[in-house]
Amino acid sequence: MTQFFNNIEPNVIDDEILQKAIEEKCPEDLGDIARKESINIKVVTEIQISFKNILQIANLWPLENLTKLQLDNNVIEKIEGLESLVHLVWLDLSFNNIEVIEGLDTLVKLQDLSLYSNRISTIEHMDTLQELQIFSIGNNNLTMLENVIYLRRLKSLQTLNLSGNPFCSEEHYRLFVVAHLPSLVYLDFKLVRKSTAKAAALKYQHLTKPLEEEEAQVLALQEEEDAKQKELEQQQAAFVEYLNGPFLFDSLHEEEGEAAKLVSLPGVEELLQAYKEEFVSVCESLYNYGLEEYEKREAEVSKFYKRLHEILAVNQEESKRIISDFETRNETRLDELYQDGSGEIADSKRAQGKEEIQQLWHALMLLETLVSNDLEELLQDFKRSLDVIASTFTENIQGMFNQCRDLENQHFENVMEIVQAILKKIALFELEEDFPEDLRALFEDKITVVNITSVSHSIRLRKIDKRESDMLSNTYQWQKSVREKAFQRESDRNRTCIEKIICFMDTLQKELDSTVVKPKE
Amino acid sequence: MEALEEKEEVEQPPEDVISLRISDFLDELELDAEQASVRSNETEFDWSSIDTSNLPSSYKTNSRQEKKLLQLADHFLQQYSHLCPDRKPLFIHPLNECGVQKFVSTTVRPTLLPYPDMYYWSGCASFVSNYLIMEPLKCPITPPSSLYSPTTIVKYQRGNCFDFSVLLCSLLVGAGYDAYCVHGYATLEMCSMDQTQEVCPRLKKPPEEPVEEDPNKYKIKYPSEPKSQFELQQKAKEEEEAKPTQEEEKEEEVVEEVEKPKRDSLHGLRVHAWVLVLSGKRKVPETFFINPFTGNSHSTKDECFLGIESIWNDKNYWVNMQDCRNGCKDLSFDLSNHFCWEIMFPESNEDSQLPTESPKDSTDDMQEKKKISSSFEMPLSWVERIKVSSQEYENPFPRGKKVILYDKAKQEKWAAYANTDGMVERLTVYADSDRTEELEVKEWFEHRKDLLYMREVNHQTQLITDHFNPGHPLLLKAHTYTSLEPETGHTVEFYHKARVDGLWKRSETATEMTEYFEEREDLLHKRHIKFGEREQGMEMAGTAEANARPIVQIREYFHRNPKKPADEDVEERVFKVIDDVIQLTYHLEIYDIIPSKVVFARVIGREKREGEVFLSRENTVKYQPWSSEKHKNMRYLYNLLWELRAEQKDLKQLVRDSEAEMLNILAVRENEEANIKLAVSIYSTAQRDQRIASILEAEERSSQNSSEKKSQQTGEEDESVTQHTATNSTT
Repeated sequence: MTQFFNNIEPNVIDDEILQKAIEEKCPEDLGDIARKESINIKVVTEIQISFKNILQIANLWPLENLTKLQLDNNVIEKIEGLESLVHLVWLDLSFNNIEVIEGLDTLVKLQDLSLYSNRISTIEHMDTLQELQIFSIGNNNLTMLENVIYLRRLKSLQTLNLSGNPFCSEEHYRLFVVAHLPSLVYLDFKLVRKSTAKAAALKYQHLTKPLEEEEAQVLALQEEEDAKQKELEQQQAAFVEYLNGPFLFDSLHEEEGEAAKLVSLPGVEELLQAYKEEFVSVCESLYNYGLEEYEKREAEVSKFYKRLHEILAVNQEESKRIISDFETRNETRLDELYQDGSGEIADSKRAQGKEEIQQLWHALMLLETLVSNDLEELLQDFKRSLDVIASTFTENIQGMFNQCRDLENQHFENVMEIVQAILKKIALFELEEDFPEDLRALFEDKITVVNITSVSHSIRLRKIDKRESDMLSNTYQWQKSVREKAFQRESDRNRTCIEKIICFMDTLQKELDSTVVKPKE
Repeated sequence: MEALEEKEEVEQPPEDVISLRISDFLDELELDAEQASVRSNETEFDWSSIDTSNLPSSYKTNSRQEKKLLQLADHFLQQYSHLCPDRKPLFIHPLNECGVQKFVSTTVRPTLLPYPDMYYWSGCASFVSNYLIMEPLKCPITPPSSLYSPTTIVKYQRGNCFDFSVLLCSLLVGAGYDAYCVHGYATLEMCSMDQTQEVCPRLKKPPEEPVEEDPNKYKIKYPSEPKSQFELQQKAKEEEEAKPTQEEEKEEEVVEEVEKPKRDSLHGLRVHAWVLVLSGKRKVPETFFINPFTGNSHSTKDECFLGIESIWNDKNYWVNMQDCRNGCKDLSFDLSNHFCWEIMFPESNEDSQLPTESPKDSTDDMQEKKKISSSFEMPLSWVERIKVSSQEYENPFPRGKKVILYDKAKQEKWAAYANTDGMVERLTVYADSDRTEELEVKEWFEHRKDLLYMREVNHQTQLITDHFNPGHPLLLKAHTYTSLEPETGHTVEFYHKARVDGLWKRSETATEMTEYFEEREDLLHKRHIKFGEREQGMEMAGTAEANARPIVQIREYFHRNPKKPADEDVEERVFKVIDDVIQLTYHLEIYDIIPSKVVFARVIGREKREGEVFLSRENTVKYQPWSSEKHKNMRYLYNLLWELRAEQKDLKQLVRDSEAEMLNILAVRENEEANIKLAVSIYSTAQRDQRIASILEAEERSSQNSSEKKSQQTGEEDESVTQHTATNSTT
């Protein structure tokens, strides 16, 4: 390599190099138009820039659709400028001067990565390459055998090349790697035999076991989390998240401040307990009702889409029939016209063709009109049933929230009574001796205590209202989005369909018109 | 003994009287002709000539217990005739082959034969119906005066309906079924084993499930053409006028059809015996009848059964006390119900209720009977164990074959190995009731080495269809053809699971070949190939390749692959080999109606057309404006073209392979048909080996014969049957 350094100046990838590389890939007998088009930088999928003495990777960002990139046998020192090439599947950076693995995080589709013969000393920064199947990092500067354990996270890895690294000379190198990477099929160009894998697993049991356990734990945790998340998502879809328990009740009584002290008043504790029980049971019924309704809504939506697809399928079949009928006739006519494109017969044929295209147009448009009418009807029905579902749901949950409010009001009245009684006692100086000290301070001023109680009451009411309005607005949002999506889809479909019919007609017409007389040889 | 003889004498007169009366009756009705016709078919067998000397002593005498039993039975009979004077005498103790009176229950000898099929009622029933030759009753309206032991019946392989029923009942009870012999009345067809009015069970189609048109199924409602209201009215009027005449015609037809089956003057009087199987034991879900002549099961509500007098098995005897005016439809088969069934020997653990209809004067007798019967136990059967050797079991047909005539159909059955081609059954379907014009012939085979199990010959379409069991070396499932000549229209079905290419059906004619696939990874499901005509001059070359039909077009159809976007998922590929055009049609998304297409063409000798783009110097491509972006990429198209060209080459080879395979199949089939081999189970007994040896001998002889006989087509009736298929295939 050093010889190159002395003789030739190192390069940076520029447009000229790129252009050359692209042109090299073109097949020789490619037509002119095709050739011009395939040089279009956006459509290039493969490129090879080898032995070009490249020092720095740059200017590759316009090659959006690149899937295969070869940059081997250059003098690259740093992996950079590849972030935008997210479709890369195959990346060859072998025979360069790279020291650190980096800059590959965005290349999540990468399946084959070669870093053979570089100066890398650590395997790192590859967590996102979950698709990686073939990894070559032979002839590098890897010294720590334990570093191989890092590759355990690449679940798809099947082929690995580590040969030529310093740690390869260590005793049991191969067994160690096989034991820690049980999914490997090939290691250092050799098949991993079952017997080897078995022996390795046995030998390094003490090392791999804890690793496996740890991984299993992480996995289990992850799964649990996922399940929880999924459940929550489902509840959210049903608009009843955090209603299957005392969550709402507890949230009402957060941030109570001074009012929380009232709980220690004689009798309030019991009241609160009873209140909580009732409140939670209302919440539970609300939750169950919400889930039920959710199922109903889903069923209604899927019913609609089933019917929609049925209609569309029939439409498709019918139009297919019409078009294929037409096409068989059209094809023979066109062939005949190509054979003999002039004369009276040809003219009459052309007129006939025109006529038939008109007929086809009529047939397709009629079909489209009929179908879109029927779909419109279906959509209206769907809208009506959505309205019914949403309004009954709204009514019922409003009723349940009213129950909650009643409970809160009742509780407030009860507490107020107790407070009044105590105030009375204070006024008459009949208060018990063991009355808590901090409460005594609270009750010093009559207005403060009443205020505290009523404020906390109104806060709670507001919280209930908020939950209710959340639910209602969610319901409304759902109703609106589902409806609009359905309507939007249909109108899009209708539009594209008509556009396509027009386009189809144009093409057919052009084809017919442009049949020219075959030059007689 | 003396007492018995006396009784016989006593009973003789009424029977004689009845039979006399009946014979008069018969004369009157001029039924002789019919009787004669039935008999003329069968060579009369003289039962009096049978040898009874070797029979064991239990056949010739009655034990003490049996005598007591007969006494009791007589007692019962007397009471019965006293109580029900207008009913016919019961069939209780007929004479056996040695002239000794035996109680019917002791004639039933429960036996389980050591063959797997005989563990099930259907096996027993078909064995009995196949093994015995049916004899009509001497007098169709009275039960026979004698009932022979099942062993004798099995020995001589013939008997009347009572003999059939007793034998079948013995086998069924032996196999654990709750079975009973029934003495009753049935229709003429049933009694005379005349099935010509019935549809052959082989031809009975399973009740077709009405394809339910979903009323909500979406249909495109095209606006109808405007029509003149007046014209419609006029039309309706005309139709109405035409209607009455049509209806009249129809009525006439209906009347004709009703009259067709002859009214039987003895309807309801014809005595028949059959078998009743009660539900419960052996997991029988529902009570049913078995007609022993045919071995078919019938519902207890079947209209062919017109009434029941009594039933019995090896344990007891019951008299039916229910009204049979409506046939057996409304009968209850709860035998413990004493209002419905009068039991002869009440079970000891039960408190038998006296029938209320019995008048007072008989109570004493009844009580007396009860006293005796409670201590009474049915004696063991006097009949020897029924034995059927394996040779007899496997060759059940008394005349080598059995012929059953059905409505517009004829069924013939042979034992396995009886025919050299393995045929065991042949069903001929006729167009008319007189069985003159053959429509269809179905033949069933067994133990064939080539695994052929059925052959259908349709005389209308001239198509022959062979059906094979799984395991044929060529994986054949069915083969439809008119002749075994190549390229004459063949359809071959395969057991496709065993094939690598998933081919399950291929039909080939001289100009076309269609292949159907299933469960392929590339989702190909149909391939259609068009052939051109062979060029005349090519024959000079002589090689097989040169003689092949030119391939004009290959068309392939694929299912939708949900992993790909619809407009990149090919639905149809057309390779126009001669024009050098490749056309791809893509699938459609559900909301779409016009598929996108890509057409590749070679421009040599052909002008570039509108919309086509040069892909290389020789090749053009055409795509549509709505094609997927991918299909507007020239590089992609260029690569695709070369892939397709390579594939076209492979496809051509595949087609040639398919043709070769068809030729091979035909050659193999021809060879198999020319020398049919039958497989012999390794578990077969020495006797069977002997039989096989004899068959082989016969085969050799016949093959020699057939070579000699080629010129003279006529042969003896027997031999022509055995050679039937062999000659078929060679001619």
